[in-house]
Amino acid sequence: MTLKEFKLPDVGEGLTEAEIVGWRVKPGDTVRVNDIVVEIETAKSLVELPCPYAGTVADLLVAEGETVLVGTPIIAVAPEGADVPSPQPAAEAGADVPSPQPAAEAGVDEAAAALAAQPSAPDDVAGDGVVEAGLIGGAAPGGRTSVLVGYGPRTTEAKRRPRKGAAAPDGGPLTPSPEGPAGRVLAKPPVRKLAKDLGVDLLAVTPSGLGGVITRSDVEALAGAPSPRAGTPPGTSAAPVRPGGETRIPVKGVRKMTAEAMVRSAFTAPHVTEWLTLDVTRMVELVERLKADREFADVRVSPLLVVAKAVCLAVRRTPELNATWDESAQEIVVKHGVNLGIAAATPRGLVVPNIVGADAMGLHDLAAALGELVGIARDGRTQPAQMAGGTFTITNVGVFGVDAGTPILNPGETGILALGSVSRRPWVVDGPDGEQVVPRWVTTLALSFDHRVVDGAQGSRFLADVGRLLSDPATAMLY
Amino acid sequence: MSTITLAKALNDGLRASMEGDAKVVVMGEDVGKLGGVFRVTDGLQKDFGEDRVIDTPLSESGIIGTAVGLAMRGYRPVCEIQFDGFVYPAYDQIVSQVAKLHFRSGGRLPMPIVIRIPFGGGIGAVEHHSESPEAQFAHTAGLKVVACSNAADAYWMIQQAIACDDPVVFLEPKRRYWEKANLDREAAPAPLLSSKVVRDGTDVTVLAYGPMVKTCLESAIAAAEGGTSIEVIDLRTLSPLDLEPVYASVRRTGRVVVVHEAVVNLGIGAEVAARITEQCFYALEAPVLRVGGFDTPYPPSRIEEEYLPDLDRVLDAVDRSLAY
Amino acid sequence: MPEEPEFVQLLTPEGERVEHPSFAFDGDDEMIASMYRDLVLTRRIDTEATALQRQGELGIWASLLGQEAAQIGSARALRPQDFAFPTYREHGVAWCKGIDPVALLSLFRGVDQGSWNPLETNFGLYTIVIGAQTLHATGYAMGVQRDGAVGTGDDDRDTAVVAYFGDGATSQGDVNEAFIWASVFNAPVVFFCQNNQWAISEPIDRQTRIPLYQRASGFGFPGLRVDGNDVLACHAVTKAATQRAREGSGPTLIEAFTYRMGAHTTSDDPTRYRLSGDLEHWKLKDPLARVHAYLTRHAGLAEDFFADIEAESDVLAHRIREGCVAMADPHVLGIFDKVYAEQTEELAAQQAGYAAYLDTFETQTGAHA
Repeated sequence: MTLKEFKLPDVGEGLTEAEIVGWRVKPGDTVRVNDIVVEIETAKSLVELPCPYAGTVADLLVAEGETVLVGTPIIAVAPEGADVPSPQPAAEAGADVPSPQPAAEAGVDEAAAALAAQPSAPDDVAGDGVVEAGLIGGAAPGGRTSVLVGYGPRTTEAKRRPRKGAAAPDGGPLTPSPEGPAGRVLAKPPVRKLAKDLGVDLLAVTPSGLGGVITRSDVEALAGAPSPRAGTPPGTSAAPVRPGGETRIPVKGVRKMTAEAMVRSAFTAPHVTEWLTLDVTRMVELVERLKADREFADVRVSPLLVVAKAVCLAVRRTPELNATWDESAQEIVVKHGVNLGIAAATPRGLVVPNIVGADAMGLHDLAAALGELVGIARDGRTQPAQMAGGTFTITNVGVFGVDAGTPILNPGETGILALGSVSRRPWVVDGPDGEQVVPRWVTTLALSFDHRVVDGAQGSRFLADVGRLLSDPATAMLY
Repeated sequence: MSTITLAKALNDGLRASMEGDAKVVVMGEDVGKLGGVFRVTDGLQKDFGEDRVIDTPLSESGIIGTAVGLAMRGYRPVCEIQFDGFVYPAYDQIVSQVAKLHFRSGGRLPMPIVIRIPFGGGIGAVEHHSESPEAQFAHTAGLKVVACSNAADAYWMIQQAIACDDPVVFLEPKRRYWEKANLDREAAPAPLLSSKVVRDGTDVTVLAYGPMVKTCLESAIAAAEGGTSIEVIDLRTLSPLDLEPVYASVRRTGRVVVVHEAVVNLGIGAEVAARITEQCFYALEAPVLRVGGFDTPYPPSRIEEEYLPDLDRVLDAVDRSLAY
Repeated sequence: MPEEPEFVQLLTPEGERVEHPSFAFDGDDEMIASMYRDLVLTRRIDTEATALQRQGELGIWASLLGQEAAQIGSARALRPQDFAFPTYREHGVAWCKGIDPVALLSLFRGVDQGSWNPLETNFGLYTIVIGAQTLHATGYAMGVQRDGAVGTGDDDRDTAVVAYFGDGATSQGDVNEAFIWASVFNAPVVFFCQNNQWAISEPIDRQTRIPLYQRASGFGFPGLRVDGNDVLACHAVTKAATQRAREGSGPTLIEAFTYRMGAHTTSDDPTRYRLSGDLEHWKLKDPLARVHAYLTRHAGLAEDFFADIEAESDVLAHRIREGCVAMADPHVLGIFDKVYAEQTEELAAQQAGYAAYLDTFETQTGAHA
């Protein structure tokens, strides 16, 4: 026969310990299931604990005033009917039972008393709606509720049992693994539908999924492959055009990422755009001179190169344009080097790879880096790593013949400069004969900046500096 | 090789089992002197006596309950429930006792009982004589449930069911009792709990059991004229299901239709569809389609032909499957 | 219902022998003393099991308190080859058939659904569906007939079957169908009904308008009523009825008129539906007390005889308790092997799948706490 130990329970809200404030029973007392045996103090309040066992208190294991952890045994109870040191076997139910006499007249009394846990008393004795333990609806051992036909229900916890290691990715041993059919393509219904909609022949698709299963992106890859003709607008796919209707292009890949980035940026940073139209004839002359220079024979020289250099120089005077707004830390983080992003149109869409440490490069190195970056982007081989960590971006809308725009910041950056087309336009020039209108090489710069980081003065100064470097490249000497 | 009706094939099979094992007893209403209302037990009482072919009181629960006691005493009772619609008074003895005693006793009390039930419609009968309760029994753990579709299978399957040490609900398609087929008594039979491809095909797999097998075979002939090749599989065993041949077929055709007279809602087809979807997911060109009864009780006999699945309903489902 | 019903009685509640024109107890005092021991030990099993249920060691217990004499009396009249089909309260019959009382408990504890071998003990598994076993008993008896084990005159071969059931069961269709089959086929089955006056909370007059034993004549076989608290009378009538069956004279209905002193099962509350006065009335008819009185007064048994039995019952109670708490839960994977005599691939696969799933958990836990 073993004593039953009642362990300090977690009475709720993650109790870890409690103090024994006062015992309501002492060794030798008879207890019934649900009798209050002790009062404990938790972090929040005083709580009375009911006993889960019926029988005789054998020992109080924790003294009043002591604090113990949840799970510590606090009281030991000898279950009823057990061989507690007592000559009478009739210790059942704790009822007052006469000691057994040789005349078995007492036999049925004993047994009947043993059977009736509450002899002749109806349930709900206390009149408080609580059913007596052992009757239907009342408490049953093990924290259950008593029923006519068995142990009764117990309450469960909303907690998973701990598993060994990581769960199997294929759904575990209870999931049957589908076998590959002979001579058929493996594809789930949604993928089949996608292929059908995109006009992709599943047999032509190379599967990349586990077990030779064709995945969604396998189908998309085949559908979104670059057209061999140059000038195919990025982002479109080979979707068949239905007569007189509409064409639906699934949002995926680069376009999807671009869209997300634009939304993020546009609706987070308050954008301000400032414009500057310049006479860049001297810059154009510089570009021609460099192109003819033997040192620059192995690289491509363009206005974009000069603008890139100008941006790197101007950042020195207004480093705030090379910063980022850290919302969570509530800090403006000014970056020390310039990782200059160049927006590039590729067959897959817009990508913005950056030249790391552009500010530390000489013009020739900058030209080489720029050429490489553009070449890779044009081939569609730009890697994600090359697009991360940019600090400022230049977008050359001029190649499309466009004057200017209101560029959207690359998320995380504070400034973006749009370079418009460099074209011949009338300009007022002050000459020996006074003011004259002459054709000059003219371009428009548009600078968008994050107004949380940069105020109007700073933005204007930066733009003006860039502008002056372009209109008068000799001013680079001043930096 | 002989040509024989399904009812006669059952009669011959019962006779062979009774000759082979003195413990086999046949019991049911009108099975003795009358030979059964479908004549399936014709002549057995004359040959084996009243102790082994028992005309019972009109008491279905009594038929099955006493069969339990006979089985405990070492006998192999073959009970006949006269019509599918009258099995329900015996339902408690079947699901609470016959199905559970082996389990309850830890294997000490096997129940080698066969419960023969003529089932299905198409005989122009009054109410309660055209039911399809097979899903209820297939859903009961501890029973085995089989359905023969033709005379040859009937001859072998009844003997195998009697020889099986587990309880078998043996469903006989009553509208096919008088259909003839070739029976080779020397041939080695397929295992009882196995399904069978009864017609090869390449475009769509059609599954059926009992009375619908013939309907599906006829459907396949009609479809072939239109250029569609249907593979027909006779499930034969409903619990446990033998679906490996079905999966192999579906992996070839990619399309499957399940046909039964029983109500579609929660019928055998639902379970088969769920398993095919799990095992053949990547092979499916179309969802598993089911053809069967509507969610109404069986209709009056004059319109039963419009209620029961027929060739046109089967091929309609085949067309829908092919359209995916 | 008359206050003192007419029934066969051979030992009064006060412990005096009386005679009956049709039945006599053919045993001696030694046998009566032995039956007394059975009565006491059976009651002790019942008491201990009730206590164990209170402590959560059993999920449920169906007490036979008050019905000991009906069970011991009838069971002691059976020959070894006779087969008894119980309900779920025949712990006294189980005792006489040699079933270990610890084996009885496993069902109530919830570790199995019946742990003895019926074919070896000639004692059916406890059947919880009310009345279902009466058909099983009748079918078994029909098998006995086909085995030629009726009316041979060989006491060791001729076999009787006894179907035990209660008053409530007589309303079930199965019981009435069993009466029909038994009478129509003249089966060697004795229908032993313990009318303990209650079916959970419903009294006997909710099951019948006439004394239960009179039903039999409607079905065409003899019925009689016996004092269910009189172990000698129960023995005598059962012996006679089983002899009739063995000889080939067919079924008998015995109504043992007794009282369910305890609750239907351990969480039932009889105070909700019956008067404590009834209980007091029946306490005066206690089956053990009258035998105790007889043995003291007329068989010359002294204190030490009774003390020895008490001591033996203490030992038995202790063994039952130890056996009960030591019972281990079965492993859930075992259930897959028990469904069929011929295992299916499907079930074997389910078992393997579940085993693999269970193996993914850090600790194996039995769900029962």
